[in-house]
Amino acid sequence: MRVKSSVTNVFGKAIQALSRVSDELWLDPSEKGLALRSVNSCRSAYGCVLFSPVFFQHYQWSASVKMNDTDIILNLNCRLGMKSILPIFRCLNSLEKNVEKCKIFTRSDKCKVVIQFFCRHGIKKIHNVCFQESRPLQVIFQKNMCANTLVIQPRVLAEAIVLFTSSQEEVTLAVTPLKVCIKSSNEESMDLTDSVYSEMFVGPDEFDFFQIGIDTEITFCFKELKGVLTFSEAIHAPIAIHFDFPGKPMALSIDDMLLEANFILATLADEPSRASSLQTLYLSQKQRRSEPIHSNSKAGKNITSKVPEYISRKVEPKRLYSNETPTNISTLENCGSPLMKRANKDITEVPESDGNLSEVPESSVSDTEDVPGSPCLRKFSCMFFGAASSDQQEPFSLPFQSLATASGSEEDMNNGSFSTF
Amino acid sequence: MKFRAKIVDTACLNHFTRVSNMIAKLAKTCTLRISPDKLNFILSDRVANGGVSMWCELEQENFFSEFQMEGVSAENNEIYLELTSENLSRALKTAQNARALKIKLTNKHFPCLTVSIELLSVSSSSRVVTHDIPVKVIPRKLWKDLQEPTVPDADVSIYLPVLKTMKSVVEKMKNISNHLIIEANLNGELNLKIETELVCVTTHFKDLGNPPLASENASQDRNLEQMAEVHIDIRKLLQFLAGQQVNPTKATCRPTELPLGSTLGGHIYCGLVCRASHVESGCSLNSMNDDHRSAAHVQLTLQQVSL
Repeated sequence: MRVKSSVTNVFGKAIQALSRVSDELWLDPSEKGLALRSVNSCRSAYGCVLFSPVFFQHYQWSASVKMNDTDIILNLNCRLGMKSILPIFRCLNSLEKNVEKCKIFTRSDKCKVVIQFFCRHGIKKIHNVCFQESRPLQVIFQKNMCANTLVIQPRVLAEAIVLFTSSQEEVTLAVTPLKVCIKSSNEESMDLTDSVYSEMFVGPDEFDFFQIGIDTEITFCFKELKGVLTFSEAIHAPIAIHFDFPGKPMALSIDDMLLEANFILATLADEPSRASSLQTLYLSQKQRRSEPIHSNSKAGKNITSKVPEYISRKVEPKRLYSNETPTNISTLENCGSPLMKRANKDITEVPESDGNLSEVPESSVSDTEDVPGSPCLRKFSCMFFGAASSDQQEPFSLPFQSLATASGSEEDMNNGSFSTF
Repeated sequence: MKFRAKIVDTACLNHFTRVSNMIAKLAKTCTLRISPDKLNFILSDRVANGGVSMWCELEQENFFSEFQMEGVSAENNEIYLELTSENLSRALKTAQNARALKIKLTNKHFPCLTVSIELLSVSSSSRVVTHDIPVKVIPRKLWKDLQEPTVPDADVSIYLPVLKTMKSVVEKMKNISNHLIIEANLNGELNLKIETELVCVTTHFKDLGNPPLASENASQDRNLEQMAEVHIDIRKLLQFLAGQQVNPTKATCRPTELPLGSTLGGHIYCGLVCRASHVESGCSLNSMNDDHRSAAHVQLTLQQVSL
């Protein structure tokens, strides 16, 4: 596709914002547009910027591949290292001044993404970036199911950000229908006696949209917020914050005519009672799993890279869940962990099948060994669980425990196999 | 122990912020002494050789519209707090367009200086920002080390040249040697000198004034041309001169880069003390301010390095 030069800035800023999430970037083109995705290694932050085809001067996506005599549309499973692609879009000022046209296309045969900059004075810069085959994770978060929604101009948020030092990793957002408070995380302040505790109150009238359903306090990572803020300042669009109770992920999203950015962040679950009640559920389910899963999840941070292996073993790659996600999701509102569920549902399992649901049989899920289809599922879900169990230090481990457990019995119209989770 | 104070005037607030920034540039931790009519920032780096100490005094009524304090006890009506200087300057950074600033001593799990800032915001509702800066209360037995230094009468006192010029000279000299020799006489002449085996560089300044000396005896006996000489650590001097970006007489300066001169206002003069022992010798930079309203008197002392 080709992008207009002034728009290269926005594209570059999106990459920079995603670089704060993790060191890997997935390029995922589809008929909806080009999605750039990033997930951090402990799966506590996910970012996705979807550029609609209209964003580009010319957008062409076609990915139909014949495989095993069935016409299956394979997504471009393209994972780039942030170290490779970020430097290309680092100096946005000079890009804007010099680049007249930018062309990005892929060469699947050589596993390369080619970025061509057509600059002034007839200079043409070509970057060949190798990619690794890897299925992108996709997370769909039902934003309008959240009890609390705030829409804020980036400038206001920027003034709040100034309060906190870069050494502070977490920030707490506390809301009541009357006021909003952004403050240093209590967890951190208590540990370090030298750190300053800061808080800022913002009145409801400073928000473009203010809807608070439940009084709550959520704590989340500061780093990603700063990335999103910089991005929103670049495109002059307000940021929408969707959240509920602590432990449930929150979404930072920017909606523009030409693009849609969503950053899903885990929040710290600070209610011990809640966590422990779900904890017991978690444990009982855990017991049903065998060691291999746990060891896999603990070992494998790059589990996504293993997934294709399994897929390729399958004779007929099939979508594990049906494609009509929206309608299904809406019925699951009572569950406390839509993120997890969505993740389970929308793991971009390969292709559109002919509506056939996965033949992952119920037995295979609880089964520990060698069913080729299920490990990917389990592995993905294990990644969330794994993040919880393997990394004790990670403050976001708790939320994932609660996420996992809530996706329990009232699961899944589509696929009974998940009821065992 | 109680302390609460409030600043409502923007100029006072800016000045207070600038002083705090200057302190933050000089040392990581500093001592804040609160007494009924003054606020002092004290830095002392007592080492055997080439130490630095600073005594900064603010008349509280020049800054605060409200000021109440209750010291440790009736006889010792003072409070000594130790804090990380950068924490205070960062907190004050958010107060640039504040309507009011309140500072008070609080105890939230541990003693804190709570800085509470009321910001003017675009919409009608004003925003309140609060910072709790952790502090350590310094016990009375350590107070004696933190008293106003008695600087011996300087042998020679001289007004410094434009600090920007002096800074650029000293900065270049730093590359050659760590040891700076300051010479001055009562005739308005100042030399900055460095000597190494290979090279000797001297910068001469002339026609600088001399402030009136404290004791008359010294001035009468001394030959006007005779130079007093002091050896100091060049890096410590540079720390004081750091941040010198703007001509001190200009009024508008970005708070983070305010030079020593305009932070203190008025002239800086340097007093050289030459004694037999290097511990007693040194150079002090003092501010003399005619404008008492925005006064922050500062005395920076650089101890002589051993020869």
